[in-house]
Amino acid sequence: MKAASLFNFISQFNVQVALNPELIFEKNGRFFLLNDLIKPLVNRDFFYAGVYLGKAKAGKFFPSFILLSLLAKEGQANRIVIDRKSAWLFICGRDVLRKSIVRIHGQAKKGTNTLVLNEFGECLGFGRILGKVTGLILGNEIAIRNVSDIGDFLRRER
Amino acid sequence: MSGKDFFIDRYQQLGWKYRETKLRQTIRINETNAKGKNLVDRLEHLGVSLEKIPFLKSGYWVQSSKVSVGATAEYLLGFYSIQEAAAQIPVSLFTRLKGKFVLDASAAPGGKTVQLANLMENTGIIVALDVEKRRLSALSNHLERCHVRNTLVYLLDARLSSNLKFKFHRILIDAPCSGNFASDPVWFKNRTLKDVERNSALQRQILTKAVECLADDGELIYSTCSLEPEEDELNIDWAIKNLKLSIEEISCHGEKGLTEIFGTKLDPLVERCKRLWPGETQGFFVCKLKKRGVVL
Repeated sequence: MKAASLFNFISQFNVQVALNPELIFEKNGRFFLLNDLIKPLVNRDFFYAGVYLGKAKAGKFFPSFILLSLLAKEGQANRIVIDRKSAWLFICGRDVLRKSIVRIHGQAKKGTNTLVLNEFGECLGFGRILGKVTGLILGNEIAIRNVSDIGDFLRRER
Repeated sequence: MSGKDFFIDRYQQLGWKYRETKLRQTIRINETNAKGKNLVDRLEHLGVSLEKIPFLKSGYWVQSSKVSVGATAEYLLGFYSIQEAAAQIPVSLFTRLKGKFVLDASAAPGGKTVQLANLMENTGIIVALDVEKRRLSALSNHLERCHVRNTLVYLLDARLSSNLKFKFHRILIDAPCSGNFASDPVWFKNRTLKDVERNSALQRQILTKAVECLADDGELIYSTCSLEPEEDELNIDWAIKNLKLSIEEISCHGEKGLTEIFGTKLDPLVERCKRLWPGETQGFFVCKLKKRGVVL
């Protein structure tokens, strides 16, 4: 089942999200979550429907930013809040330094994925934890490698 | 029949004296997404100075900005869209949108689709059509950025909308049109009366097919950003005579629709349409139509 890549991706954030598999539609590797109103109206020719969840390509899953913000609302999800300056740099595609981390929720183990939030708790994207995220306040080493950020909306237009 | 002098003379005959227009950048707050976010304060903190547009519920002119308004985190999070002031009017004219079944007949790039979804608070369904695949990608990005959840998008010519076999409570025809000089600096150089006539014919075809999909008590908003009466008042005069439609009273920014075009008298009710000559906004035309004589 192609949706396995979607559920595998979600599980990497230490969270269970109740997505009804019967309402998930896949088209050309892109996944959409429909609702009971939209589902009966969808035919195979649709271009976009309901909530776009992301796309699977070559065995890898690329989440939408709607999906990431849904995950960020789950209390148990791996989330890291970063400071204002770092938030701006993150949406410009930059990694997160240890000293920029303000708060940590959920797991923060090396090699796991974490959602990256700004000071308002808004999800800016996600990254992979490279090493220790706590400790020295002046830590200038990279703690989170940027994997995907909302600046992508601008990059897509180029 | 083309060129700046030709068109300026036409505008003069229609009662408007041409003047150059410089449009101000405009944003529309996506109220559903931005609820509780103190967005205006946040933008001002970033160095974006805003002025509320008096005739729009959620529209602001950007007076000055130290940052690119189309590249802030708040924009990328879908809290606001960049949308010209007049273009915010058509969707605002619908009544009771929540839970409705809505057709956006020429949807890309999606500014009005997102506005619809916001006013519907993501309830009901929007069926959004466009004829160009490239433009649908822009529309999809827009829907994702603004967290729209209630839209079904098809690559489909609006003239084939009746093939969907749906009946819509609300239909928006923001028709493909000739545009106007205020939003296109080379407009006078590129446009001819033939373009206008070709677009007018296309708009009549779209209107005809859309009316077939309109529920008996439904509302149809027709708009263009063309100043040319062939695409505006003359089309609506034709529609009420040929498609059994009535023109509803609307209350919004703009002047009354013209009822005499180059010596031809139109149905007096065409004055219920609104025409916006370029100035505070770009040039625009909008009206609300309903099926005539339907006993509910």
